[in-house]
Amino acid sequence: MQDYEMMKDRPGVLPPEDRLKRLELYRPAPDFYDEMLAPEGTVRPHWKALIDSFEEMGEADWARRWQEGRRIIHENGITYNVYSDPRNAERPWPLDPLPLVMDSSEWAAIEQAISQRARLLNAILADLYGSQKLLDDRFLPPELVFPNPAFLRACCGFPVPGNIYLHIYAADLARSPDGHWWVIADRTQAPSGAGYALENRLVSGRVLRDVFRGVGIERVASFFQTYRETLRALAPGHKENPRIVVLTPGPYNETYFEHAFLARYLGYSLVEGADLAVRENRVFLRTLGGLLPVDLILRRQDDTYCDPLELRGDSVLGVPGLVQAVRSGGVAVANALGSGLVESAAPSGFLPALCRHMLHEDLKMPAVATWWCGQKAALSWVEDHLDSLVIKPAFPARGVEPVFAGRLSRAEKTALITRLRAAPGAYVAQEQVALSTAPVLEDNALRPRHVVLRVYAVAAGDSYAVMPGGLTRTTSSLGDLVASMQSGGGSKDTWVVATKPSPDLTLLRPPAGPLDISRATFDLPSRVADNLFWLGRYVERVEPIVRVVRAMLPRLVQDANLTTQAAVETGLRILAGQGYVRSDIPIGSAPFNGLEREVLALVYGGQTGNNLTASIRSVRRVGRLLRDRISSDAWRVLNQLHEQLSAPLPPEPIRVSSAQALLDQVISTISAFSGLVMESMTRGDGWRFLDIGRRLERALQMTGIIRYGLGFDCEADSGQLELLLEAGDSSITYRSRYLTSMQADLVLDLLLLDEANPRSVAYQLARLREHVDRLPASQSRFRRPAEGRLVLSLLTAVQLSEARDFLCTGGAHRTQLETLLQRLSKELWSLSEELTREYFSQAVPSRQFLLAESRL
Amino acid sequence: MNLRANHTTTYLYSDSVSVCHTEVHLTPRSARNQHLVEHELSIIPAPGQTFPRKDYFGNNVTFFSIHEPHRSLTITASSLVEIEATLPLEPSLTPAWEQARGEIWRDMEPHAMEEYQFVFESPRIPVRPQFAAYASVSFTPERPLLEAAMDLCHRVFEDFQYDTRATTVSTPVEQVFQSRRGVCQDFAHFTIACLRSLGLAARYVSGYLRSRSLIGGEASHAWVSVFCPGFGWLDFDPTNDVLVNGNHVTLSWGRDYADVPPVQGIALGGGEHVINVSVNVKPA
Repeated sequence: MQDYEMMKDRPGVLPPEDRLKRLELYRPAPDFYDEMLAPEGTVRPHWKALIDSFEEMGEADWARRWQEGRRIIHENGITYNVYSDPRNAERPWPLDPLPLVMDSSEWAAIEQAISQRARLLNAILADLYGSQKLLDDRFLPPELVFPNPAFLRACCGFPVPGNIYLHIYAADLARSPDGHWWVIADRTQAPSGAGYALENRLVSGRVLRDVFRGVGIERVASFFQTYRETLRALAPGHKENPRIVVLTPGPYNETYFEHAFLARYLGYSLVEGADLAVRENRVFLRTLGGLLPVDLILRRQDDTYCDPLELRGDSVLGVPGLVQAVRSGGVAVANALGSGLVESAAPSGFLPALCRHMLHEDLKMPAVATWWCGQKAALSWVEDHLDSLVIKPAFPARGVEPVFAGRLSRAEKTALITRLRAAPGAYVAQEQVALSTAPVLEDNALRPRHVVLRVYAVAAGDSYAVMPGGLTRTTSSLGDLVASMQSGGGSKDTWVVATKPSPDLTLLRPPAGPLDISRATFDLPSRVADNLFWLGRYVERVEPIVRVVRAMLPRLVQDANLTTQAAVETGLRILAGQGYVRSDIPIGSAPFNGLEREVLALVYGGQTGNNLTASIRSVRRVGRLLRDRISSDAWRVLNQLHEQLSAPLPPEPIRVSSAQALLDQVISTISAFSGLVMESMTRGDGWRFLDIGRRLERALQMTGIIRYGLGFDCEADSGQLELLLEAGDSSITYRSRYLTSMQADLVLDLLLLDEANPRSVAYQLARLREHVDRLPASQSRFRRPAEGRLVLSLLTAVQLSEARDFLCTGGAHRTQLETLLQRLSKELWSLSEELTREYFSQAVPSRQFLLAESRL
Repeated sequence: MNLRANHTTTYLYSDSVSVCHTEVHLTPRSARNQHLVEHELSIIPAPGQTFPRKDYFGNNVTFFSIHEPHRSLTITASSLVEIEATLPLEPSLTPAWEQARGEIWRDMEPHAMEEYQFVFESPRIPVRPQFAAYASVSFTPERPLLEAAMDLCHRVFEDFQYDTRATTVSTPVEQVFQSRRGVCQDFAHFTIACLRSLGLAARYVSGYLRSRSLIGGEASHAWVSVFCPGFGWLDFDPTNDVLVNGNHVTLSWGRDYADVPPVQGIALGGGEHVINVSVNVKPA
């Protein structure tokens, strides 16, 4: 490593022993092209600036930076889903700290080649969905089109806006040992990964900011700006500010994180099929305020699942009538429905001729050698050279893995040949590329791993703009030739060395023309309102339980006296009443050993069912559905909450005190969430439904605390009342008013009736009344809707109650209190149901069924 | 001869349907021996608008949506067609079936794709060696295409039992082949599977049948068409073991049933539903 030797003598460089020693130990495998090192072991020139910075960085700095990177990934919740693992489907995004660096002149060639390929594939789609001259003139075998399930006949014969089928296109590139780049796959259906590429850049741009600036790297934001501009221009109606939605199959999709991320980044609503409705050939978004017209759908869902009526997905997913709406020009879909037709290796061999025929240009970057077995000569060649080939289905097929024929046994090869001969048109064979390698940090050392580079192009006018960068994926080991997130590979940021400094750019401001200031908030999808409502409810469901447990814990280890005993019993009754612990736990007396175990199990329950972790999982699940709606701060707080309540059980002597410290943190985290909701969310319908959920749940919880904690007997011990006040976070208020005298009626007044106490039931009802009166149904109708009447009558009942009503007069039973609490818990649930019926029910996918015909 | 066909489909729902999107293939297309004289489509409750168009195969399709809550939907298609009966074709004059295989003629004329697309597997009709084996009993070497096809048609008629309960709209062809039971749609699918498995172009024809003495006169019917170079498409009806000539009204054709269901739709809500279909074809 001559370069390295030279640098050692440079002044100002750290002494050699502190430098990054990893580079010296990096040994690429000889049979592959290495991206960083030239064959003689020198660092390639375009990597030098990066490597220099790394070497100056020192071990500790490096470690600190990368820890920061992992923290960002973790806290931003950057994940992808692994299909094969339904229990723990969400994995943190694997990002390697070292970017892949691309030389600017080499990149210019890639850029031109990818842009050309996108134009070519788009032109082929336009022909096949239009006049099909390519088939008549035999430029493409009809065998590649007619039996292909991705050829959607329902989408033939009508124009698409701008004649653009591929709004975004991606290609997987690989570099062979001789240094040439090859296309190994085309992505035209709904290319994924551009969002992850952007996230990779956000992370590496933050932790390597100085390096990034020093080296001079092309920025990727302008790519997304072009994407947005293209979509705006192609939305029917030519509005200045068309309504564009991102259609996702839902949170169980592999790349759901990316759908939510892109929707947020581009400023579009994230919707599922059930959020959209077709009326008179237009597509509408179902919102709280009614149906809002949608101009363009950016789909991240396979086209065959987009319309159960005409595209005949096997399910009723999708938007019935969508194809008809597209056909009549009421809405555009990007990528166009049917664009999956060219997402196949089979036409590769025909592309050079097609490129000359259609674009009058030579194809700039070849695809890796590909044989479509439907041609007799190709089939026999494939049979003779099986060992060096990968066999793939000719048409997109779910769950069909490529077969590396060289790894098969004799018998398996014979079986494969039989399959090929039975349906030759259904297979393609591709030469295996000996993928190039790049250094990956693994176990504190740099190791060579194979890389596949996914590059992206967006339509821009009558050409395509290529993202200067992309998603680099790495294999999990050397010699493994499939780079896939599903099978444990990793990813890298991709740096294209800039030829000239590029301007700082973000998407904070929309590119074209001034927008009208808009304060409309009625465009909230009903499904989202539903989720926000439940997020509010789940968070508030956790808090009182945490407070009860926190109040009980110190008393469990204190010396027993009657007051302590009463407090512990009260806490236990509340927990049992809400189903958190069994109701038949023997309480015994101090030191409450058995009880301590039960209560700690709530906090450190791990995977067991009935504990706080279970409630927290609900919070996180709903939070995930709202990724595009809540701020990244709020998301981080929810993640923290989940983490705090997934802690392992600490060792014996410090269990109780650790648990208490932990619960203190949990309370702070929940307060942070409430603070964000109150201080950072715009007061729109989204905020309103979140707060309605919180208020409703808090009122219900407080009702339960009083009901189970106090009961309706006239006896009330001061320990019991103390615990109630702690559970209701009202001890300080009480003490400041009444000093140390504990009286049941005073406690009840504070927790139930006092509209000035933000923890009281009365306070929640007053807020609920304000909220409900501002909802669309209350605004637009002459008569107060059912939910409005419910809230008003509950609030009035509480306002008309007085603490002295709850004193025991005569009998030994608080009859009036019992009546009021029963009414509260029953009618608060009715309120929840009324809100669901009025606002959320249309979000629940109604039963859809297929009308068919009986036949004879 | 003029034939009038009245086709009524009624859906009755136990609960109200709030929205339905429907597509119907109920308007007879023009065909070689068929001319549409008059046609009326009536829908109750009436949709705001209907959208007629030609589908990929040139069939007449009408799309409509109903956005008001309804408990029943009635679609009535009334068509008057002029059908020209032709002299029966002499089967022995058609070319040897091997000459009719798609790979022989696909490159001979520039616009062969119109026919060639029907050589392939389709969503409801797989191509399988066992179907080719069944067909090869009829398709002996050098046998004239129509003669072989009529023999196949006769064997399906004899070997398969007409049974309205054995299958549903979505029963796979393999199962029909195994149970040897089904209705016109199943027999048409199976016969087409046999023809395509031999490399011939065959399509699924949906329509009506005039006679009450034949099966399929009281509902929509389906039969088979095979492509013969030089002669064009030849239609035959395996459910009744007849060549199509004068008594069949063609609605539409496609690769299989899924391309041309007379009525299909997506409805929201509705609970349970029952369907009533009546078809009436009379000389006019």
